[in-house]
Amino acid sequence: MIYLDNAATTKMFEESASVYKEYACTNFFNPSAGYGKAVEISKKLDEVRELLKKRLSVDKGDIIFTGGATESNNLAIRGSVRSGKWEYVFSEGEHPSVYNVAKALEQEGHIVHIIPLGKNGQVDYDEIEKVLNDKTRLISVMHVSNETGAINDIKRIKAHRDRLSPKALLHVDGVQAFCKIPFSLNDLGIDLYTISAHKFHGPKGVGALYVKNKQGLKNIIFGGGQEGGYRSGTENVAGIMAMAKSCEMIDTEKNLEKVKRLNSIFKHAISGVDGIEYIEAGSPYIISLSFAGVNGETLMRDVQDEVIVGMGSACSAKKAGNRVLQSMGYSAEKIKSSIRVSFNAYLDEEDVAYAGEMLVKKYLDLRERVR
Amino acid sequence: MRTILLRFGELYLKGNNRNIFESILIENIKKKLEGETFKFSKTFGRYVISDYDEQRESEIVSKLLKVFGLHSLSLAEEVDADYKSIEDAVKKINLGKKTFKVVVKRADKTFPMTSMELASTLGGVVLKANKEASVDVYNPEVEINVDIRLNKKAYIFSSSISCQGGLPLGSAGKGLLLLSGGIDSPVAGYLISKRGLKIEALHFHSYPYTSERAKEKVITLAKRLCHYCDEIKLHVVSFTKVQEAIHMHCAPEFMITIMRRIMMRIAERICKRDGLLTIVTGESLGQVASQTVQSMTVTNSVVKELPVLRPCIAMDKEEIMQVAKNIDTYETSILPYEDCCTVFLPKNPVIKPTIERAEKEEKKLDIESLVEEALQSEEIVFLNGK
Repeated sequence: MIYLDNAATTKMFEESASVYKEYACTNFFNPSAGYGKAVEISKKLDEVRELLKKRLSVDKGDIIFTGGATESNNLAIRGSVRSGKWEYVFSEGEHPSVYNVAKALEQEGHIVHIIPLGKNGQVDYDEIEKVLNDKTRLISVMHVSNETGAINDIKRIKAHRDRLSPKALLHVDGVQAFCKIPFSLNDLGIDLYTISAHKFHGPKGVGALYVKNKQGLKNIIFGGGQEGGYRSGTENVAGIMAMAKSCEMIDTEKNLEKVKRLNSIFKHAISGVDGIEYIEAGSPYIISLSFAGVNGETLMRDVQDEVIVGMGSACSAKKAGNRVLQSMGYSAEKIKSSIRVSFNAYLDEEDVAYAGEMLVKKYLDLRERVR
Repeated sequence: MRTILLRFGELYLKGNNRNIFESILIENIKKKLEGETFKFSKTFGRYVISDYDEQRESEIVSKLLKVFGLHSLSLAEEVDADYKSIEDAVKKINLGKKTFKVVVKRADKTFPMTSMELASTLGGVVLKANKEASVDVYNPEVEINVDIRLNKKAYIFSSSISCQGGLPLGSAGKGLLLLSGGIDSPVAGYLISKRGLKIEALHFHSYPYTSERAKEKVITLAKRLCHYCDEIKLHVVSFTKVQEAIHMHCAPEFMITIMRRIMMRIAERICKRDGLLTIVTGESLGQVASQTVQSMTVTNSVVKELPVLRPCIAMDKEEIMQVAKNIDTYETSILPYEDCCTVFLPKNPVIKPTIERAEKEEKKLDIESLVEEALQSEEIVFLNGK
């Protein structure tokens, strides 16, 4: 079985699992306790904060450990909300952990702008420009689309922000970008950045939020005051240490080169087949494909013994429709016939070629059966 | 002694067969209470559960509330049927400021006081023990019942809880329920079980057009039904080849009609093979194109020897949904996984098909091989409510 749903989750590195075990079973101390062993753990966590900042290429600011991207996104958005007539800007392409928070804010009476996507899957920058003003409190746009791999031009959004809404915070959900494509937060000028460990071969249930200036953020969880009061609850030490290990083991540049190769091998394997289309979106880690005449979900199930592919946001795969592809102007039929293929850098080139061929074979067979 | 008094309803109607019905009911009660310690006894027209762990009383009651054939139950104090014991028990009732009346029933006519005399005397006892309570014979807040039975015991209780009613499960034999995953078929299964029919279930899946989740959903629904039906043997049959063949060869508007005719054929084969007496479906008249009288005539015509029972036939969707909520299948039924009836769905299914036209379409298929192949794919899952 060849696993090509790495945008949904990745397999944890064995080394990270060993680290996890060490901090779950041996160095299991609560970092908030007062004795020496606990203080040691607390120091380790601070080292991980520094490591993550280094990997984000940022000097200032803090890292808040969370229970994953959904929590980081909620903290970034809800923690930035202020009373009064402020406005909030989101893209139509956001993951449900951002999009549904936006919808909740709207229901609570806040002014929320949802910016449509262009045909290339990137947010419509002109539309962002149109809605920004001095009442804008937060702009939240994802770095790399989990559905299509489209890379948003964060610098361009920042330039609009600096000119039109200098007081607004810029939040970026970087779940599909961190440890996958090179970037520097110093250059991008982002205020809040979300990462999730299980997307880069770390454990599930742990992530982080980078915060440039904590003064602008309010906590949304109340409790023992861990993480400087911004995320109460005993830190997931084993998860955090395992996340750090995964992060250390990844060479982003080298992996990117490998994935570019895998991407082109895959595309070559499916090329020339009438009915298969894909979007050239940006990140080579993700390809959104459509298979004319068949249901994508049926194809996914039909091929799953050989190749595992995804259906867009796994978190919402149970729900009908696909808001992101819809916003890009896809017809209902094309959306229904879509699947998502996503790579990791440790896949075998021959396997990826075989997976492409297998998808084509199953597609042609299925198309014949439902013709 | 604390007891649970059980009453059965329609069994009275069964004349000479009553013993058979009763023995099934008693067996079902004992089976439902498996794992609990208790004593079961019979008095004329009542059953008594006693010597149970009082800490588990609400669990025991909740199990009994799911036994078909029981009409109502009461939590009662059992005492010897002499005046002193009854008086002592009644004295202990704490009414506060409530209004009450005392109702006495004597199955044992040898008791030395008439029902009226005893009721009035005990009314005085209650008033004395509850200075702020008062009598209201027309609209009392609490009805204190004193039931003197032939076993020389009296039962004192203040309320009755309605049970399922119906007939004991298994007293009507065994049938095969077509279980789709929608709202209606679990309700049909529940309603027909309530009339005493034990059920097995048949589910058609259409993998890969339908998902593993759709199959899991049906297993969950069958498990929920087991809370009432004790255990269900679930037959899972692949319908993929059948649907592909119909899709490839037949007129699209006949897709559902022919699908359902083939489902019925498979169901009848299973029934005859396994000794099941009837096919049960969740159809409701006019709800969808395949549930018109004409459509049912055409699907029914392939079933040669068995009755097809449709307990939901005259129910509105709202009514069906209410039952589904009561039996806790609704939330599962509305999970959005496609079932085999929603794939290859034609835009305009035929509403008034004829047998002749359906047979003409079916000539394009090798029905016997399709039925046989589907039966070859059969998997069996045994489920119970535990």
